[in-house]
Amino acid sequence: MRATEMSGDVTPNPRPPRARRITIVLAQWCPHCVPLSVRYGRRLARRLRVPLRILDIDHQTRAADRIVREHGDSAPDYLIPQVFLEWTDRRTDLLLTGFSEQVPRTERAWKDLLSSEWLRSVAKAGVA
Amino acid sequence: MTRRGALPRVVRDALRSPGGHCYRHCDGPVRSYRLSSPLPGLWQVRACPAGVVSVTTYAEWTGKDTTRAVRRVLQQWTSPPSLVRTRDLRWATRHGPELGRAAERFLARARPRRPVRVVYWRVYPSKSRDGTERRLFVCFRRSHAGPVFYLAAPQDPDRTCPACARPRAATRRRSR
Repeated sequence: MRATEMSGDVTPNPRPPRARRITIVLAQWCPHCVPLSVRYGRRLARRLRVPLRILDIDHQTRAADRIVREHGDSAPDYLIPQVFLEWTDRRTDLLLTGFSEQVPRTERAWKDLLSSEWLRSVAKAGVA
Repeated sequence: MTRRGALPRVVRDALRSPGGHCYRHCDGPVRSYRLSSPLPGLWQVRACPAGVVSVTTYAEWTGKDTTRAVRRVLQQWTSPPSLVRTRDLRWATRHGPELGRAAERFLARARPRRPVRVVYWRVYPSKSRDGTERRLFVCFRRSHAGPVFYLAAPQDPDRTCPACARPRAATRRRSR
């Protein structure tokens, strides 16, 4: 028996991390980003019931570069859009990076992400 | 699938390049060509009927950075090798949920868990000093050891790949 249980002083379980925010790193001139990824990003945020943050590489350069450098597919001239899911425990997951082929390919990736088993389970439980 | 890093069929299918049209060149249909190299992953070149390359991709089932190896292979295929610049190489990590149901299930079940790394090599059209537009072409002639990537002016009717031009020049010298 653990000491806490013996004394009756039960430590509560830490709360499981929850989805906190969706962030999309994009550029206004990129056809994979606007309007496509903004539209699907909104849907994703709605499904997860979290806010959507948009970081424009031409205007919020430092914040965009930072999240890509720390959690994304970083390169001297990195691919956009990059979509991140931030959790309440400060974790950040890269969900999607735009496809370099053609815009319809990135759209297919968005559709696959929105109908994925992973999203269904996260949206249902709201936890990682 | 035998080699570590090789893509399972279900992931290969998910990453298969879609069709589409040549961008700002001829509006012809773009086809995907597969290439083989000592690397275990999947190479695809998207090019129009005239040989103008839209993008070259390399995908491997690994969490490691494959960019250096990709660069080395591309340099062997490119004339001159200096055409392969670091800034033209971009990469993406594919985890599964964005690749469709079958690939998602496969990657989620696999142990150890690892993503798919895709490296894209895209050379944007450039202009030479005299203002002529130059684009990246690829030549798949079977007599070459591998594909040959080179820059040329799309309007130039006499453009030839450097590897094709070599024996021709040698023949010309011999016939003199």
